[in-house]
Amino acid sequence: MPETPVEDLLRELAPQALGALVRRFGHFDTAEDAVQEALIAAADGWPRDGVPDNPRGWLITVASRRLTDLLRREQARMRREDTVARWTLPEQWHAPAADRAAADADDTLILLFLCCHPALSPASQIALTLRAVGGLSTAEVARAFLVPEATMTRRISRGKQRIRDSGLRFAPPSGPERADRLAAVLHVLYLIFTEGYARTAGPGLLRADLTAEAIRLARLVHRLVPEDPEVTGLLALMLLTDARAPARIGPHGELVPMAEQDRGRWRADQIAEGVELITGALPRGVVGAYQLQAAIAALHDEAPTAAATDWAQITALYEVLLGMSDNPVVALNHAVAVAMSRGAPAGLALLAGLADDPRLADDPRLPAARAHLWELNGERVAAREAYRMAAARSTNLAQQRYLNARAERLAGDPPPTD
Amino acid sequence: MILLYGSQQDYDVLSGRATDRPAMSAEQIAAMHQHMETFHQALAESGELVDARGLSEPVHARRVQVRQGAPVITDGPYPETQEVLAGYTIVECASFDRATEIAAGLVDPDAPGGYVDVRPVLDGVEDLAG
Repeated sequence: MPETPVEDLLRELAPQALGALVRRFGHFDTAEDAVQEALIAAADGWPRDGVPDNPRGWLITVASRRLTDLLRREQARMRREDTVARWTLPEQWHAPAADRAAADADDTLILLFLCCHPALSPASQIALTLRAVGGLSTAEVARAFLVPEATMTRRISRGKQRIRDSGLRFAPPSGPERADRLAAVLHVLYLIFTEGYARTAGPGLLRADLTAEAIRLARLVHRLVPEDPEVTGLLALMLLTDARAPARIGPHGELVPMAEQDRGRWRADQIAEGVELITGALPRGVVGAYQLQAAIAALHDEAPTAAATDWAQITALYEVLLGMSDNPVVALNHAVAVAMSRGAPAGLALLAGLADDPRLADDPRLPAARAHLWELNGERVAAREAYRMAAARSTNLAQQRYLNARAERLAGDPPPTD
Repeated sequence: MILLYGSQQDYDVLSGRATDRPAMSAEQIAAMHQHMETFHQALAESGELVDARGLSEPVHARRVQVRQGAPVITDGPYPETQEVLAGYTIVECASFDRATEIAAGLVDPDAPGGYVDVRPVLDGVEDLAG
C-alpha cells in the first residue's frame, strides 16, 4: 500500500481536526463534511506548495471556516423550520492556542469514544470508526465489509442520525464510564481486525488492509492511553496473530493449520514487538482477556516447532480466560489445549460437555475439534465422519476444502487430485 | 441482473468433497477466484458494477411455507442435480446488449452446457425500449 508522506500525515491529522471541530461545534455530521473539504484542499495544495508549518492548525482553521458557512446555512434553514439548534453558535467559539498537542490527541480519543458509543449498533460503531477515525471512504468501508455502498451509506447516516437525535455528548467520559467506553472502543477494533483476519479464502487485498487498519488504530489508542494494560494487550494480540499471516495461506489460497505452517515465514519483527508489549503489560494492573489471548498467541509464536509448543502453559492461560467469561469458543480452545498437554481422551471428555451448548449447534468448530482429537487418538472412522460434518456446517470454501481434504486423507486412499 | 446457477453437486466439487465427479484442485479454485476477482475489478473500474454476491450451498437453505396460518420451516435436502441460484452480479450499463456481453464473461467455457441468465431489473425496463 504505497502512500505518500502527505497522505500519511493527513490520515493522522484527520481525526484530530474532526475531533477538534466536533468538540467546539458539537455537530458531527456537518463537521465531517467540513473536514472532508479541508482534507481535499490539503491533499491538493500541500504536495505542490509544501506542508504548512502547523498542518493541524491549518486544517482546523480551514475546516472551521467551511463549517461556519455550512452551519450558517443550516441555521437559517433550521430557523425557517422553527427547530431549536442544539449546537454552539460559531460566534461563541474562540480560537484555541496554536500549541496544544495534548488536547488534540485527546480529541482523537474522544472521537473514538463517540463513534463507539454503546447507543450505536456494532455495525454502526465499526462503520463510523473506520470513516471518522480511520479516514476510509464509504466505498472502501463498504467493500471491506462486502456490502453494497448504498447499504453502508445508510448504515453510516443512521449512526450519525442517532448521535444527533440522542444528543450524545462529545466530552471525555470519566470514572467507570471511561473504562466502559474504552472497552467498547477496544471491542470495535477487535471486530475490525477479526473481520480482516477471518477472511481465509481467495484474493482480497481490502481484507488485508482491514487488519492493517485495525493495527494502526490500536497503535493510535495505545499511544493515547499507554498506561492501560488491556490496550497494550489488544495491540500485542493483533501483532502476534497477524505475524502468522504469510504462512497461513498456501500457494493456491488453501488454509494451512498452525501445526503445518512454515514458521520461517512468520514476521519476526511483529512477534518481537508483540512479545515485548505483552511482557511489559502482564505484570501491571488487572489482567484482562486481551492480555491473556496475547500471552497465548505469544507462546504459539515463540515455539520453534509445533511440537515444542508449551501446551501446559497455554492450558493454564485458557483456564484463567474461562473463569472470566462464559464463552463456548474459549471452552473449545481450552479442550484442545488440554488434549495437547494431557492427551486426546482428556480433551475429548471436555468437548463432550459442550455437545449440548446451543451456541455451538450450527458451528463447524465443535465437530472440527472433535475430528482432530479423534484423529490424534487413532480413531480414524469417527474422525472422518466428524471432519465431514464440520465441512457440511461450514460456509467458507477454504475451510470446507481443508476439512474435506482431512476426511479424504483418513479414507486410506489418496485424494483424487492434488 | 446476471444470474448464475449451480447444484449441490457443483458445490461439492468446489468444496473438495468426493462425488462421482472429481473434486476441483487447489490450482483450479485459485484460477477461478482470480478470474472472478479480475472480472469484477474491471466492472468496478468501468463503473458498471452495482453488486456481486455468491450464495451458500443449497444444504444451508431453509424453506419457509405457511400452512393453516402457521409458518413451517424445513431444511433441505434438495436433489443433488437440481440447479438453484448460486450467485448474481448486478450491473448498471449502457444497454441490454452490453449486459449480455458482460454476462458471457461469467460463463465457464470449460463446462459443457453451462449458462447464465440476464434479466433486466424492472426499474430500468423503460430504458430498454430504445
